[in-house]
Amino acid sequence: MNNINQEYQDYLRDESRSTGQAESIFFPVTAEEVRTVLLRAGKTSVTIQGARTGLSAGAVPQGGHILNLSKMNKITGLRYDQEQGRFVLTVQAGVLLSQIKRVLQERSFDTENWSGSSHQALDLLRQSGQWFFPPDPTETSASIGGMVACNASGARSYYYGPTRKHVEELTVVLSDGSLIRLQRGRDKVEAGRFNIITDEGRRLSGTLPSLPLPAVKNASGYYLQENMDLIDLFVGSEGTLGIVTEADIRLLPLPAAIWGVTVFLPCEESALRFVHAVRSELCPVAIEFFDHRALALLKEHAQAQNFDEKYHTAIYVEFHDKDEVSIRNSVMQLGRIAELCGGDEEKTWVATNRHELEKLHLFRHATPETVNTIIDRRRRLDSRITKLNTDMAVPSRELDNIVRLYNRRIEEENLEAVVFGHIGDNHIHVNILPRSIDDYLKGKILYLEWAKEVVAVGGTVSAEHGIGKMKVAMLKEMIGESGISQMKRVKEIFDPLGILCPGNLFPEPIRAGE
Amino acid sequence: MNIVVCVKQVPATTEVRIDPETNTLIREGLESIINPYDTHALEEALRIKKRLGGTVTVLSMGIPSVREMLKDILALGVDQAVLLTDRRFAGACTLATSYALASGVRKIGNFDLVICGKQATDGDTAQVGPGLAEKLNVPHVTYVQKVEEIEHGYIKCNRVTDDGSETVELTLPAVITVVKGINTPRLPSIGGIRKALKDEVMVWDVDDVGVDENLVGIKGSATWVIKTFVPHYSTECTMLTGSIQAQARALWDELIERRGAL
Ligand SMILES: Cc1cc2nc3c(=O)[nH]c(=O)nc-3n(C[C@H](O)[C@H](O)[C@H](O)COP(=O)(O)OP(=O)(O)OC[C@H]3O[C@@H](n4cnc5c(N)ncnc54)[C@H](O)[C@@H]3O)c2cc1C
Ligand SMILES: Cc1cc2nc3c(=O)[nH]c(=O)nc-3n(C[C@H](O)[C@H](O)[C@H](O)COP(=O)(O)OP(=O)(O)OC[C@H]3O[C@@H](n4cnc5c(N)ncnc54)[C@H](O)[C@@H]3O)c2cc1C
Repeated sequence: MNNINQEYQDYLRDESRSTGQAESIFFPVTAEEVRTVLLRAGKTSVTIQGARTGLSAGAVPQGGHILNLSKMNKITGLRYDQEQGRFVLTVQAGVLLSQIKRVLQERSFDTENWSGSSHQALDLLRQSGQWFFPPDPTETSASIGGMVACNASGARSYYYGPTRKHVEELTVVLSDGSLIRLQRGRDKVEAGRFNIITDEGRRLSGTLPSLPLPAVKNASGYYLQENMDLIDLFVGSEGTLGIVTEADIRLLPLPAAIWGVTVFLPCEESALRFVHAVRSELCPVAIEFFDHRALALLKEHAQAQNFDEKYHTAIYVEFHDKDEVSIRNSVMQLGRIAELCGGDEEKTWVATNRHELEKLHLFRHATPETVNTIIDRRRRLDSRITKLNTDMAVPSRELDNIVRLYNRRIEEENLEAVVFGHIGDNHIHVNILPRSIDDYLKGKILYLEWAKEVVAVGGTVSAEHGIGKMKVAMLKEMIGESGISQMKRVKEIFDPLGILCPGNLFPEPIRAGE
Repeated sequence: MNIVVCVKQVPATTEVRIDPETNTLIREGLESIINPYDTHALEEALRIKKRLGGTVTVLSMGIPSVREMLKDILALGVDQAVLLTDRRFAGACTLATSYALASGVRKIGNFDLVICGKQATDGDTAQVGPGLAEKLNVPHVTYVQKVEEIEHGYIKCNRVTDDGSETVELTLPAVITVVKGINTPRLPSIGGIRKALKDEVMVWDVDDVGVDENLVGIKGSATWVIKTFVPHYSTECTMLTGSIQAQARALWDELIERRGAL
């Protein structure tokens, strides 16, 4: 245990740039140590941290202890799932996504404490080409625990789905120190009831409500469906139900052909038509959007590829396929679609290998990075200013309307902003860049206004960054008082004293007896 | 303006592994890419062509599979691609490489400008550009970071020097080698890929270019590799732990007390 002195100040913050407070911080290295902390915590609250890259302040403590999992960073085993024809990697919660990417690319693991069967599986893996873990949030220094807790996703989630889809098994320590293992397919919720046995042989059962899910990509509140896998309740629970100490994650064979194309279009209308056509006619893994403001920003600030002044809107499309012939075919069709929508085959960038693909990914990531640099500069003049970043998704039929709404309101309020992101999933981010505190306040109001609109058309207030502490009011807007109280009851089953991550998801820390 | 661009295929990594038995490069398992400097040479050629018209031809000497790389390059808007490949070209040192490439350029014919990369990331000698110019008996300028003016029979370039830069004027035909700062290379477009589907890479052997086979490949090499070895690095890294004070103390002890820095 460490007291929070100068040395640990950084642990009071995450990438949302808000700061909290805490009395002490623990860096457990085993699940056993996690249990000990909880057994001794009593009624003191415990905020769980992974790599603190979260954007919703979920890992920012509000007093009590911090339980930081960054030292649980070992990849502990590998197995081959014969039936499904895929590998499953066992990793501790603090393992970073970048670490997983690296070891899989190099096929070189620290196998010191691996079992014999894991070694055998590794031999098999080395003989069977390249494998990958599909979730691809932009921030690769996120931890697996954090990704599971937030159900993180990225551009390729358009095809591969979010983190949830790739988690096979979780080891979770509950607030009373008991340990449970949740396996997909085995631990089911049936007719609203679940039944599990903890490591010490204690039976844990309860009733779960089922709540309607918005029919969109979603990272807002608990996943509660009829006959679901219990593991899915914990994925996306943002540290409020238990501490993930270990995860079994699925690996897929890396497709032989991966190509990316950035298509430039003469106006936004034509870009939207292009997106709809690509979605219905082709099978890409990612469709990403850059509005004209984002392109102008990149042109001015980023050391990007050269592009024509006349290019207005850009769409990035990525394909994964079994061979060159098929993938080239898709890209040729993409070109035809672009021309039909008012674009030009010549005004495209095609990446056909890893190095070129990297260039297009960097170009994609340059948008939020450039925004952050500008905001940091402005914060030095007025520290009250922060980036206002929306994370909302709407159903497909509402895509054009929401884009129009964003444009209209940004112009009416005379704000500086960029609009970009996962348009394939109807999930585009608006980043407002306040030039003054007035802009900031106007932007905040606008954000709430948009949240209401999005909810009204059946969308979600957070599609990937989670609710954390920043969007609690928006979650309530989305699921209403009754939704919140149903979710609270779920929390009470696993964390009756309300000590885990108080302030996340729910307005106030819920305490025993309240 | 007719331009020839020389491009070389290199392993995608700078961590070259050498087989201790045969002392040759282990190519197995290494992805091959176009020498990164050569993408800048290509870009410059395409920009000059856009301004002045004419043709761009890429020329490479290498193993038969380099053809795939050249096919990809055709999609950038290059007019033709030539691969010199023949067992008799193999094992060339820079002299023999320059001679072979010069023969290729002559056979392509009617050229105003040859553009090479500054150096190849594997061989790293930076000799081929100048060697080629000598074999073609034309002037050359290396490390070009800007083509300031170019017109029929004349080019004005700015080149990087150890302590700054200098501007050099040349008559054409000539050879220039370029550095990365000269431009940002483009990616192919869908339109370019579609057009290139029909294009073929021309493949020439020693007889096609009509060179003296004693002057190319291993026979034509003036230098031979007697020994190659992997340099041994013995740098060690020590991680300091503990409080900031303790780490600062440990650093002081190591640097000042033990090693006598300052
Ligand atoms: C530049 C940038 C780009 C980003 N891009 C994306 C993106 O494309 N997609 C996306 O989804 N997100 C993105 N994020 C947000 C962030 O990276 C993700 O939310 C990530 O999943 C957080 O992981 P972490 O390890 O940093 O978690 P933290 O920030 O440490 O924690 C996040 C939440 O998870 C909980 N938690 C962490 N570890 C555990 C655990 N072991 N058990 C239980 N609960 C835990 C915490 O209590 C907290 O509520 C981005 C962030 C940045 C800074
Ligand atoms: C003593 C010696 C022995 C060698 N023996 C062998 C051997 O046995 N087998 C072997 O495979 N290699 C051998 N090499 C390597 C081979 O000579 C070089 O790869 C080749 O001459 C190019 O030199 P470089 O890589 O230093 O290119 P640089 O001179 O650094 O390249 C400058 C530019 O020249 C052009 N260029 C260079 N090579 C080519 C090419 N092949 N096609 C088109 N353009 C090109 C490119 O534009 C490049 O950017 C040997 C090299 C030396 C010095």
